[in-house]
Amino acid sequence: MHKILVIEDDEVMPKIFQRILHKENYQLDHVVNGKEAIQKLEETNYGYDLIITDIMMPYANGFEILSRVKSRKEGKPIAVIIVSNAGNEDMILEGFKLGADDFLKKPVIPGELLIRVKRLLMQYQ
Amino acid sequence: MEWFKNFYEGFVFAFGCAMLLMYALLALLSLRGIRRFQRTHSYVDYTKMLDSPLAPGISVIAPAYNEGVTIISNVRSLLTLVYPKYEVIIINDGSTDDTLEKLINEFELQEVDFAYNERIKSQPVKRIFKSVNNVYDKLLVIDKVNGKSKADASNAGINAAAYDYFLCTDVDSILEKDTLLRLIKPFMDEEHQRIKAVGEPCPECGYVHFAEDSVRVIASGATLRLANSCDVDEGVITRVRPPRQWLPRFQEMEYIRAYVLGKMGWSLINCVPNVSGGLGLFDKEIAIKAGGYDSQSFAEDMDIVTRMCTYMIDNKLKYAIRYIPTSQCWTEGPPTLKVFSRQRTRWGRGLAEIITMHRRVLFHPRYKQLGLIVLPYNLLFEFLAPIIEFTGILFYIYLIITGQINWHYALILLAFVYLYSVMITTLAIWWDHMTYHYYKTWREVIGLALMAFLEPLFYHPLIVFFALRGYYYFLTGKKHSWGNMQRQGFGKKKTANA
Amino acid sequence: MKTIPAFISATVDQFRYAPLVIQIAVIFTAVAVSMTAIAYISILLNRYRSHRREKKLAALHPLIDELLTEHILMNEELYTDEPVEATVPVGVFDKPIFEKKWARQVLIQRLMQYRDNVQGAMGDQLRSLYIQLGLDKDSLKKLKSSRWDHKIQALGELTNMDIPIADVIILPLTNSRNRELRATARHAYIKLSKNEPFKFFDVATEPLLLWDQVELFRIISTTDRISIPNFAQWITYSSNKSIIAFCLKLVEHYQQLSAVPAVVKLLDTRDHYLRANAINCLGKLRIESVEDKLMSMYDSQPHHCRTEILKAFGRISSGKQVDFLRQEFLHSSDFEIRKHAAKSLINNQWAASSLIQELVDTATRENKLILKHCMNPLIKF
Repeated sequence: MHKILVIEDDEVMPKIFQRILHKENYQLDHVVNGKEAIQKLEETNYGYDLIITDIMMPYANGFEILSRVKSRKEGKPIAVIIVSNAGNEDMILEGFKLGADDFLKKPVIPGELLIRVKRLLMQYQ
Repeated sequence: MEWFKNFYEGFVFAFGCAMLLMYALLALLSLRGIRRFQRTHSYVDYTKMLDSPLAPGISVIAPAYNEGVTIISNVRSLLTLVYPKYEVIIINDGSTDDTLEKLINEFELQEVDFAYNERIKSQPVKRIFKSVNNVYDKLLVIDKVNGKSKADASNAGINAAAYDYFLCTDVDSILEKDTLLRLIKPFMDEEHQRIKAVGEPCPECGYVHFAEDSVRVIASGATLRLANSCDVDEGVITRVRPPRQWLPRFQEMEYIRAYVLGKMGWSLINCVPNVSGGLGLFDKEIAIKAGGYDSQSFAEDMDIVTRMCTYMIDNKLKYAIRYIPTSQCWTEGPPTLKVFSRQRTRWGRGLAEIITMHRRVLFHPRYKQLGLIVLPYNLLFEFLAPIIEFTGILFYIYLIITGQINWHYALILLAFVYLYSVMITTLAIWWDHMTYHYYKTWREVIGLALMAFLEPLFYHPLIVFFALRGYYYFLTGKKHSWGNMQRQGFGKKKTANA
Repeated sequence: MKTIPAFISATVDQFRYAPLVIQIAVIFTAVAVSMTAIAYISILLNRYRSHRREKKLAALHPLIDELLTEHILMNEELYTDEPVEATVPVGVFDKPIFEKKWARQVLIQRLMQYRDNVQGAMGDQLRSLYIQLGLDKDSLKKLKSSRWDHKIQALGELTNMDIPIADVIILPLTNSRNRELRATARHAYIKLSKNEPFKFFDVATEPLLLWDQVELFRIISTTDRISIPNFAQWITYSSNKSIIAFCLKLVEHYQQLSAVPAVVKLLDTRDHYLRANAINCLGKLRIESVEDKLMSMYDSQPHHCRTEILKAFGRISSGKQVDFLRQEFLHSSDFEIRKHAAKSLINNQWAASSLIQELVDTATRENKLILKHCMNPLIKF
């Protein structure tokens, strides 16, 4: 079973993720800001297969989490998808520069998100 | 003597009435402003800016002096502001502690060859750092020789700033996440760069002289509050509370009155006298052309605003300064009488300085609202008020001693002034409460509002005294206070706010 | 012993014969006391009301979320690619609470929040729910309200839900005296109108503020239905400068090469701000053929147009302007100009690598610093 970490400070988005991804038998954990995300990652020793994160959040932004996850030498690599309503050209480029696997802008298309998640999880297996 | 007594009584009464009327007027104006803000605000979607290529860039400038204890979480908090295009410039103003080392280690800083253009004079810049980690590419750290003032450090930051607007703040102030979005809106709500032809075209070459025709917003600000008793977690406010200690509590009340009622009201008639040094967004071009901050000044924030306005009027440009009623910045207020007295003495001295420095603008009709409203207001109701109050008390004492006093009437007048000032403060708290419910419980609001009854008895006399002390120092040009005083206000004494 | 009426009449007498000063003071004291009391009462009342509202919301939000996730988001058919005409289970929302106006408003706002996060078939489902519950009627009713902020709110809801509004209703609003309402109505018109979304570009006489441009830009670039016209028509013919400036940004965004001749013509405008915008646009479109013209006009330009020209040479990066950039870099007395020249030289590096090396070796201390600044990948500006 794949474990997915959702980092998102919006109220309804996690519910939507939950619904979009529910039938694939993923285990979804949800945290609301950068600090909790880092705590969660460290507690579980980065025990996730995929991270879905927003960019602008309190304490630490999505890029910081992304860079932490991607610059980790040991352990298996983790796929990261950025889902955000912020996203001018610079930000999208910066996200990819830091190693993001995908960048989706809100509002997302459920089918698309599902396919991208599936594909990334396959790639990273 | 009798003649003098009548004259003095009449003068004080007229002065008092004018002052009370002004406050009433300000209260009404600010009510209008807040109502309008409220209505607009109910649907404004600030997030639309987040993916827009049209968002103007902002440089956040925060000087730091010996902030080693909290610098990391404070800078992190600045780096997580919600805005699509901004940079954070931290100026290490010759700290003697480990502020710079901490920054270098935490954010993986590396010294860079930076083409620093010294458009405003400041103490020499030693080194400039950028992070090698892409995550922190918004961060720029300047290490400079201590200039004994926040103004000097801010100037260095302005020189290095890349964007057209800069936000001036303190590194230990805590900003709301959406501060940049909200403060930039007033700039975007006015038309930019409209020009009109002036005079006839030159008959030989057809050259037409153009002049700026649009109203340019040169600065904006928002309400400041005290962070003293708020719950703060790594540079993020998690719960707002009015300060528990007496002195900061009075200050919170005073801040609400000064911002929500005062500046908000002035903003409506485009007569904002001052954009606070704790939080203000400025048009960089105008700030530089006006000469930047004056590092010798005791009230550098008011000084730069006055100079920017003067510059605009001198060049026949239309300008505006806008305030918004929401609280965007939390700052640590002086918790002890000693530090507080130094701060207020400094303010008093600064005010006296502003009045004398800009006296050529004062009452000058060419300077429109600046010369006829803003500065006269500051002279009469900010600068002279403590003096008149003080002499008034002396006069009362004289009357009592010589037995000339009509106790009945004196008490009625006293009750009137007292209750009126209570009303003004209560209204300010009411307006603030209309803007947003910052406090969680009704007890906290009422607890703060009740301070209005104590203020005229305990807090106000202190302010009058310190202001007079400031004027005295200004007159005598007291030298030895320099190093000391300058350093205050800046490295505000800090209680544990980690 | 005095009676109470006697006491009152004595007081009134006292007041009547007191000096004017005292009379004023007494009156204003009374005003002050009552205003203070009113302030306290309304703060407390307001507290109480918002407390009740929060409590109600705390109960209602989970209910809405549950209904939505159970009956809308669960729908398996939404995950296939084919367009589905899935029926919306309106019945489950048939609860007494949703007959109340405030609860319906909360529901509308929640639906909007969901639609901000999700589109596609799921978004369509949310929309049909909105229509089938008759919430669009609520919004349309608000549109007829006399308060401008209610109208704006209604327009926001209808735009979010993609509900067409009849021209007779919306067109008068686009000419409203209230600026915010006018702007919102225009945005709604552009988003929802089937025929001529850009019509108001022709008629608008007052400036298009930057704040409204942001929203407009977003609507134009994210609404698929809108067909993009050739912006040259406004760049050439509009007398509204802010519309021209805005069209330049759109030309850049859509890389609309067909508009280039109009933009080039704009270089001759007398308005130096507009000229700077045009140069900026041409640079970002990388129009190599315009370089000679830019070069020939350079000397007669004000400072900000000059920097735009230098930037444009960097963006176009044709390699042909290297000598000119070198000359500006070495001989200009203005720091900004030198910096932009250096930056553009670096952007032309493919054609000037030996020149840059030579400059680094021979330049003055300050110029060397500028070059290094521009070459450093850590520094963006």
